[in-house]
Amino acid sequence: MNQQLNTAITLFLSLLVEAMPFLLLGVLFSGLLLLFVDERQLVARLPKNPLLGALIGSLVGLFFPVCECGNVPVARRLLMQGVPAPVAIGFLLAAPTINPIVIWATWIAFRDQPEIVVLRVVFTLAIATIIGWVFSAEADLRPILQPAIGAGLKPSATTAVKQWSEQNVGQTPELLKSGTYWLGQNSQSVRMDVTVLQATLAATSPSKPLSNRLQLLLDNTIQELRELGAVLVLGSAIAAIIQVAVPREIILGLGAGPITSILAMMLLAGLVSICSTVDSFFALSFASTFTSGSLLAFLVFGPMIDLKGVGLMLSIFKPRAVFYLFALAAQLTFLLTLFINLHVI
Amino acid sequence: MNSIPNPKSSIPNLLRPWLDVLAIASWGILMLKYWLTGKLNLLIHPNYFWLVITGGLGFLVVSGLKALELLRRRRTRVAAHITLFPPGFSSTLLLTTAIVGLLFTPRVFASQTALQRGVTDSLGVTRTQPQAFRSSIPPEERSLLDWVRTLNVYPEPDAYTGQKVKLQGFVIHPPELPPEYLLLSRFVITCCAADAYPVGLPVKLLTARQAYPPDTWLEIEGKMSTENLGDKRQLTIQASSLKQISEPQNPYDY
Repeated sequence: MNQQLNTAITLFLSLLVEAMPFLLLGVLFSGLLLLFVDERQLVARLPKNPLLGALIGSLVGLFFPVCECGNVPVARRLLMQGVPAPVAIGFLLAAPTINPIVIWATWIAFRDQPEIVVLRVVFTLAIATIIGWVFSAEADLRPILQPAIGAGLKPSATTAVKQWSEQNVGQTPELLKSGTYWLGQNSQSVRMDVTVLQATLAATSPSKPLSNRLQLLLDNTIQELRELGAVLVLGSAIAAIIQVAVPREIILGLGAGPITSILAMMLLAGLVSICSTVDSFFALSFASTFTSGSLLAFLVFGPMIDLKGVGLMLSIFKPRAVFYLFALAAQLTFLLTLFINLHVI
Repeated sequence: MNSIPNPKSSIPNLLRPWLDVLAIASWGILMLKYWLTGKLNLLIHPNYFWLVITGGLGFLVVSGLKALELLRRRRTRVAAHITLFPPGFSSTLLLTTAIVGLLFTPRVFASQTALQRGVTDSLGVTRTQPQAFRSSIPPEERSLLDWVRTLNVYPEPDAYTGQKVKLQGFVIHPPELPPEYLLLSRFVITCCAADAYPVGLPVKLLTARQAYPPDTWLEIEGKMSTENLGDKRQLTIQASSLKQISEPQNPYDY
């Protein structure tokens, strides 16, 4: 018993020590980009074709290394700016995985199985593009969006693209918007979102703009480190406990079955909600007992849909749409990774 | 959704930024402490030490900057933030974990874990493919992992009969082996302790294995032979000398 506890704590700390540097890097990077890069530059050049749009949207993450906590606010902002749905949904689903830091972390964890790294990227791109494309069938998105988001949308998303720059995003009632809030001088809450950040940046005195930006970057970094770090701690604890406490027979039995292993890992991905920057280390602890397909299922599905993500997504979509996203992502992940397990591909 | 500040909790609100500073700094200290005390190699692969060291310094820098800012301003803004956890929970959790880490000395996995994870002399399909495989290593200089890799490339045990071996590893008593056999074993890691997996070779002793309790570190010299263990022909070390050694500074193999 004592030894098991010892093993569990060692495992737990090893996961954390390996993952923390990546967490810091991810948080710093996304903070830097949110503060110093204008995503509207990117949006303006998006293609109109839904399939191509979905693919491009899925790839935008390469320039916006945000993990799944950062992508929802960005996707919401994109939608409100009138970006076509396929692009926004492609981005929403793929950005947490298709970004340099996550790919690098996956590579470090699965150095010995490069196919996992490649397939993670390929499957994520495929699934995000397909789902984005499916949602393009919906000409008017407003019925599936939360009223606060839908209100800012023009009926035709494509014409809205041209007009986004004139659009005032801040029309949404203050209370309906989520994000970070500062409590201002006279108890007036100030939304601490990128829009506000950038407005604050523009409004600040030109004498020391950089120090102000750095100030905001520091606050953003601390906030995200704290939040995502806590989720990481809980996730690592779960991984360590499963490793040590669940009898080996059960793990082996679940992990060896081509279907059960995928279902188990998808369920785990949905529950654990670990940040995509570090989830490959979590998956690594199952690498010896679970099928490659199921590890992929974890790595592909987790960043798209999990408990924490669903909470955030409900700030954009109505429950029905979140359910569609969930069902489509789950089925596609299951199918693709089952192909891997059964050596179809 | 955003939490409304409670006037009664104004003192915790003042302290909360300091809790963040403390939590983040403690992680920086923890990572650097593992490095400085040489315990980092029990947790992760040496290739990634630099990541942890840089990360640790990064955590200290972030917390230091925040501390400076707090000291300069005195009056802190209250950042009400949409969060998953109640305010203060995240920082407290991070701080507590770091303190556990500072108090706990990581120890290398033991035979029980090896049995739980299943020791083999094969690397399996999902296992380490040697990055640089040199079959030119003379048999007596091969490490346990070198042997397992060699065996993986050419699995016929008879091919190695009579070759000299000199290996270090820890003792496992697998229940399925007869009493005069033990398993000499090592953990191999590719990234961090989370993916540590054991490899091992059976050793035939001249006496019962009770003389060498589990988790004892041994240096074994002997010759290779083939034995029928269970219903499998297995490459086995015929031990001629067994020397008890202390746990190596770096117990893992890579």
